[in-house]
Amino acid sequence: MNSDHGARFRIALVIGGAVMAYGIWGVLDDARATHPGSLFVYVVGADLVHDLVIAPVVCIVGWLLTRVVPEPWRSPARAAVLISAIAVVVGWPSLRGYGRARVPDNASVQPLDYSTALGTVLAVVWLGTAVWATVRVTRRRSNEDAGNA
Amino acid sequence: MIEKTAHAVERRFTSKLHDERTAALLGMGLGITFTICFVTGLWSHLVQTPPSWFSRPPRPAGLYRVTQGLHIATGIAMIPILLAKLWVVYPKLFAWPPFKSAAVAVERLALLPLIGGGLFLAFSGLANVNLWYPWPFGFKEAHYWAAWITIGALIVHVGAKWTVTRSHVARRVPPDAGSGDRRAFLGTVAAAVSVVTVATVGQTVGPLRKLALLAPRRPDVGPQGFPVNRTARAARVTVEDGGATYRLTVTGRVARELSFSRAELTGMDLHQARLPIACVQGWSASANWRGVRVRDLLAMAGAAEGASVRIVSLQESGAFRSSVLQPDETRDGDTLLALEVNGEPLHIDHGYPLRLIGPNRPGVLQTKWVTGLVVE
Repeated sequence: MNSDHGARFRIALVIGGAVMAYGIWGVLDDARATHPGSLFVYVVGADLVHDLVIAPVVCIVGWLLTRVVPEPWRSPARAAVLISAIAVVVGWPSLRGYGRARVPDNASVQPLDYSTALGTVLAVVWLGTAVWATVRVTRRRSNEDAGNA
Repeated sequence: MIEKTAHAVERRFTSKLHDERTAALLGMGLGITFTICFVTGLWSHLVQTPPSWFSRPPRPAGLYRVTQGLHIATGIAMIPILLAKLWVVYPKLFAWPPFKSAAVAVERLALLPLIGGGLFLAFSGLANVNLWYPWPFGFKEAHYWAAWITIGALIVHVGAKWTVTRSHVARRVPPDAGSGDRRAFLGTVAAAVSVVTVATVGQTVGPLRKLALLAPRRPDVGPQGFPVNRTARAARVTVEDGGATYRLTVTGRVARELSFSRAELTGMDLHQARLPIACVQGWSASANWRGVRVRDLLAMAGAAEGASVRIVSLQESGAFRSSVLQPDETRDGDTLLALEVNGEPLHIDHGYPLRLIGPNRPGVLQTKWVTGLVVE
């Protein structure tokens, strides 16, 4: 793991451990608001959802991209998929209108048509990566031409 | 059996990007963004619930707008970095044996609150700016205390990884054959950060508002051209409440109690100020407010100079039905009970008949539908 378990780690452990203990005390002390049991489920659940769902899915998609898309298209394709996925994550609550559903009389919450908005963002992302891919391919061809000459 | 499986899984991660240098560089980015979020978050907590030793500074008037805008923008920018970093180090999950020594066991155990806490903070923060609460606990308290636990776990992690990260960041370890792939990958993460930032930061940075395609708020959309957090309907306040029966009273530790109708307030010496509404959820918008100075009302009532004042709303329930102005705030000439915004009487959703607006106060403390000032 290439970690350092010397004096620095031991000092960090004491300080970090104390800070964590303070946080745990806070959760328990304010239990009526923090619901320690369900907060624990959410935090550990986030670990599990990442390790058992998100990461495997990302690895499988990455592996498929490697198989399906040849170089020099691969890095731009990977970029387009990755950036699109992040944009969807960030835009998801708006796209689904979760906030607006909670306060239907507040027209200033999630005021846009988010399918169009997200579509526009994705179009820009794919256009940008297409330009990058074209530049890569052209440059590689001209390098090959130069090598052949 | 488990050992075999673990080794088999670990060997399947063939990408050169699952390496120390990529992890170190992304870890550096996370360390910086997480620290910004933690500090700005603590600041927000401090100004929203000031302990007795702390006095909220009314100047600079736009400070909270900047710190909270930074908190939300940094939190959103952190999402791609966090996910990229977790993907890079994912193979380590299958390292066998899992605990080579007590130190390794402690270090790995701290990853549970670090990763779970980091993901929880990012998710709950994103949900909260969208007014989405798919959980039973209070967002503010859970987000606040989870941040302490996570930053503690981060300190432990940084202690373990300081040496290796520094050697990579300072380029004491020479770049290897995989550096081209790494540049493309880190460039992609940087591009993802840019995309989500540009598509959301316009909720507080006015000139970029048209680009805020993924933000839940637009600073120019709402009644009278800016957003609303709690509507009058949600607060159960009606236009009639601001009508003939409406009174603003000044009571508490005063020489003489005062009571005004809205017409009497309108006839007073009105003051104008351009101040932002800066919401904890990361949006902000500036407006021109016109109204009565709080310090003028206090002088009329013969209150002691530099008193604290509780501002009480017509709203009957809710955590923000009243708020306190601290001495430095009541002294400030721009702390107003506003009757108008941008040249019009306040919209009911913006606090008609009267709302508090003061410099450098979080949006939730800019109490709407004000009916009472209680001098403390």
